[in-house]
Amino acid sequence: MTALWQVLRLVLAADPWAMARGAALSLLVLVMGAALLGLSGWFITATGLAGLAGIGIAFDVFRPSAGVRFLAMGRTAARYGERVLTHDATLRALAALRVALLRRHAHRSGRALMGLRSEAVLTRILADVDALDGVLLRLVLPSFAGLITHILALLILAWLVGWPVALTVLLAYLPAAALILWHLARRARAPSQQAEQRSQDLRQGMIDLLRDREAQIAFGGLPDRRAELLQIEEAARQAAARLDRRERAAAAGLSIVVAGASALALLAGAWLLGQGEIDPARAVIGFFVALALAETLLPLRRGFAELGRMMGAAQRIMSGKAPARAPENPVAAVPKAPVLEITRPQIACTLNPGEALALLGPSGGGKTSLLMQIAGLAPSQGIAIDGHAPEIWGEAALRLRVSMLPQRSALIAGSLRENLCLPGSQSDDALWQALKAVDLADTIAARGGLEMRLGEGGSGLSGGQSKRLCLARAILRAPKLLLLDEPTEGLDSATAQRVLTGLRAALPMTVIVAALHRDAEHSLFTQRINLRTAEKG
Amino acid sequence: MQSDEPKLSKTRATDRIITPVSGLLRRAAVLSVIGGALWPVQAAVIAWAIASWVTGGPVWEPALIAAGAFIALAVLRAGLDHRAGALLFDAADRSIARERQAVIAHEAQARSNWGSPAIASLLVEKLPLLQPWITRYHLSMTRVKILPGLILLLCFSQSWAVGVILLVAGPLIPVFMALVGMAAEEASRRQLTELGSLNEMLMERLAAMLDIRLLGASESVAEEFESRAERLRESTMEVLRIAFLSSTVLELFAALGVALVAVFVGFSLLGEIGFGTWGSPLTIGQGVFLLLLAPEYFQPLRELAAAWHDRAAGLSVVAELDALDQTAPVPMLGAGALVAPLPGAFSIKTHGAVAALPGQAVALPDIVLEPGQNLALTGPSGAGKTTSLKALAGLLPLQAGEIEVCGQPLSEASADAWRARIALMPQKPHFSDQPLGTWLDPRGSGSDPQSALALAQAAEIVAALPAGLNTRLGESGGGVSGGEARRLMLARALHAGGDVILADEPTADLDPETADLIRGALLGLKARGIALIVATHDPALAAAMDHQIELRS
Repeated sequence: MTALWQVLRLVLAADPWAMARGAALSLLVLVMGAALLGLSGWFITATGLAGLAGIGIAFDVFRPSAGVRFLAMGRTAARYGERVLTHDATLRALAALRVALLRRHAHRSGRALMGLRSEAVLTRILADVDALDGVLLRLVLPSFAGLITHILALLILAWLVGWPVALTVLLAYLPAAALILWHLARRARAPSQQAEQRSQDLRQGMIDLLRDREAQIAFGGLPDRRAELLQIEEAARQAAARLDRRERAAAAGLSIVVAGASALALLAGAWLLGQGEIDPARAVIGFFVALALAETLLPLRRGFAELGRMMGAAQRIMSGKAPARAPENPVAAVPKAPVLEITRPQIACTLNPGEALALLGPSGGGKTSLLMQIAGLAPSQGIAIDGHAPEIWGEAALRLRVSMLPQRSALIAGSLRENLCLPGSQSDDALWQALKAVDLADTIAARGGLEMRLGEGGSGLSGGQSKRLCLARAILRAPKLLLLDEPTEGLDSATAQRVLTGLRAALPMTVIVAALHRDAEHSLFTQRINLRTAEKG
Repeated sequence: MQSDEPKLSKTRATDRIITPVSGLLRRAAVLSVIGGALWPVQAAVIAWAIASWVTGGPVWEPALIAAGAFIALAVLRAGLDHRAGALLFDAADRSIARERQAVIAHEAQARSNWGSPAIASLLVEKLPLLQPWITRYHLSMTRVKILPGLILLLCFSQSWAVGVILLVAGPLIPVFMALVGMAAEEASRRQLTELGSLNEMLMERLAAMLDIRLLGASESVAEEFESRAERLRESTMEVLRIAFLSSTVLELFAALGVALVAVFVGFSLLGEIGFGTWGSPLTIGQGVFLLLLAPEYFQPLRELAAAWHDRAAGLSVVAELDALDQTAPVPMLGAGALVAPLPGAFSIKTHGAVAALPGQAVALPDIVLEPGQNLALTGPSGAGKTTSLKALAGLLPLQAGEIEVCGQPLSEASADAWRARIALMPQKPHFSDQPLGTWLDPRGSGSDPQSALALAQAAEIVAALPAGLNTRLGESGGGVSGGEARRLMLARALHAGGDVILADEPTADLDPETADLIRGALLGLKARGIALIVATHDPALAAAMDHQIELRS
């Protein structure tokens, strides 16, 4: 619940004014609806009375009928405004939630960040965000507007008709409706989470079955895998069926609450009428208003049925610590310290501006782990950058000094320029210089220049071209220390040589540490270390 | 012809999804319509009680009777709706189950050319979209055909003027419905697109988050995302403002209709309007009855408008199912089940075999393989190396020639038993979401995989994993490198056991040292009497084999 509350605060803070406008109009629609039906009921009964009493001429028919017309039209207009404004507020909330999510994930460890490449992890996150999209439109706005409408109805009915009718409507509605919705939220929690979990299992199971299908056939496991998948499928539908049963039971309960409240309002009106305190026209107002208040309950069922799922999603999304806007430690570089110094039992090296280190060794030998530690994405020991361990530098100061090209680099859909300028905009000149350094300028010029569009995940370029584009992006940062994980993988030897030469020419003073299993003999490298004795951490 | 196309597909969609559950849908519609028809009765008892108050009759008895009847009928109505909802859910559930199970069964038996994420998304996200189409849309369609007509008839019976008001407002609505329907579809499509592109942007940035962080770009990327989301919101709102405007027209007509009825009834009761009834002047009871009926006349239309886009969503899912059915899947031989191994001495012989791929025939080389022999299939990409291995494993049908295994033809009947004697090492590693120990033991022998791991040079990989054999590597092998994944695949093939291992590109994309390890492990098979066929680009591996066959495209 705390997590859901955090999500709500985050969403409301996105644009409080937009949220308030949406809430105000939601309220207006409900109030006008209740007023319209109440006024119409009173009007017809009152005209009936006047007609029977033969005082039709004296009856002021114009103000009430104008009121009916005004409320009918006004409610339509308010409904339009409500739709526009609540959708506007919801879209803002959607964006705010996603931006907060991006910021949160940006601060996680290197291993967690690599995990974000997995489709399963991403779809899980996305399902959670989608579940939270309903918080505002299905839960908070309608609950708020409904509650206020009931309180206004109480006051107005008390004034126009009398406290007995006003209190009857309120007491017949609120406790029963709250009980049903609370019960629904509680009972729907397990099936809604199960339905979601089983759906994710079904997705993962289907992908597993198809990707491993040939091996499964060869090893004779296909019928079993298929049977398992059909079981998951059945479990997913059963959870959905349980959820549906609970929702329908709540829907039936709520519609009986409406009828009960209306009928009781009629009886309360009858009582006041019997006491001679009011005329029949006033006595019917409670009934009509109670009938119209049904609209306050309609949108809530869905929201409360999903409350459990929202809470689970909020917990996962909000887990971990919030992005610490950590006070950046004002650390200064230790004078005359080398740019990078590693002092460990197996590795010891010192790198000064203009030097480069080639890290060699079999895959799984700990090259990537070492680079991640230097980059401050994993706990490190025996590493000093400008005289301090990576952890001592604050995030911002460390990123200014150190850039890294991971082994599986990622591009995003958009123009080439957008990809290159991810960290900040640069002049066209600088962009072309960087592309030249990685031997990509001619290719790009021939394919539309900097405005060339890349597809999802940067598709449109070959593996080697994407790799070089990511390298150009790192060069543009002009870091003091550049870490490269397999920079020449996927490149032919001649291109690899040109790229390494271009890299040094573009960044003459940068300290470069590259993990690779070939091209280590290039003149770029001033030192070579073989991590054969595996160091894994 | 072109204009017939969508119509045809709609009929097909109805035939495929709606017809099998039409019985359930009809029963649900009957219950729901009966429930809707109870409202006029409820309205009548309330009108009767109020009329009694106004005309100076007794207060309590009519109030108690009306309140009791009103609640009783509401309970009955809630029960009918509840039951109708159950039938509708059942109808949708059956349809979704049928289609899902069919997709799972088809794809397991004969793979289409769709990617696995596309199939998974069809199962998990798209098929459930059939539900609102089957339930909400169809129900509102039936209700809209019956309930407004019934209410109109009742109104006419009380006052022809009210009937005329509703009759005039009513037919205008279908005209606007077309407009509204289109606009609503546009609005919902727009919203889905907006959400879709926002989610796509989010996925991409999350997937690239490691790079973004390492470039020190987290904050600028978050800001850029924010401004893109803002632009998307603005353009979406422009469309929604217009789309909502047209649905407001529907509501305006409904509101005007109801307001006109109320004002007409009021003036009639005052005696200022003397026309509009069948002879005798309108009574107060009739007035209240009409007031309560008028909104219900428009209600089914509004429900239909709200459910309109469900139809489009449902039809697009059916279109996708049809498209999947029209792909040419590749069937396998046998069932892929675990059966007793084929008897007889191990051997493989092929004569003029031609594998049948969709729209393409691939000739297999003539192969003769005895126990413990090894063979390399080489040649350029696309020459049929992988296809040959698959055909030998019975994963592809032949259109000519013959593959003979252990002295008998590889056929539908013998394929499963043949596969019990082979082990396969596919080109792409895939780790299912299961413990590594289970993954390494696909035939469920329960024996210790350590010797196979040692043979594949993979023992230290497992030792370095946080939970050893209980580690779940999950998708994309999180935590192991490409070379490690390949060594684990080899260990899996070795542990599964068999007379021959069919290995597809076992040394591709490996650094030289790891490739050496794998080559050594593969060459060691000979000493254990296990035959080997590799499809490879690796000249060192090919040269180490007893025989090489070069395929040409």
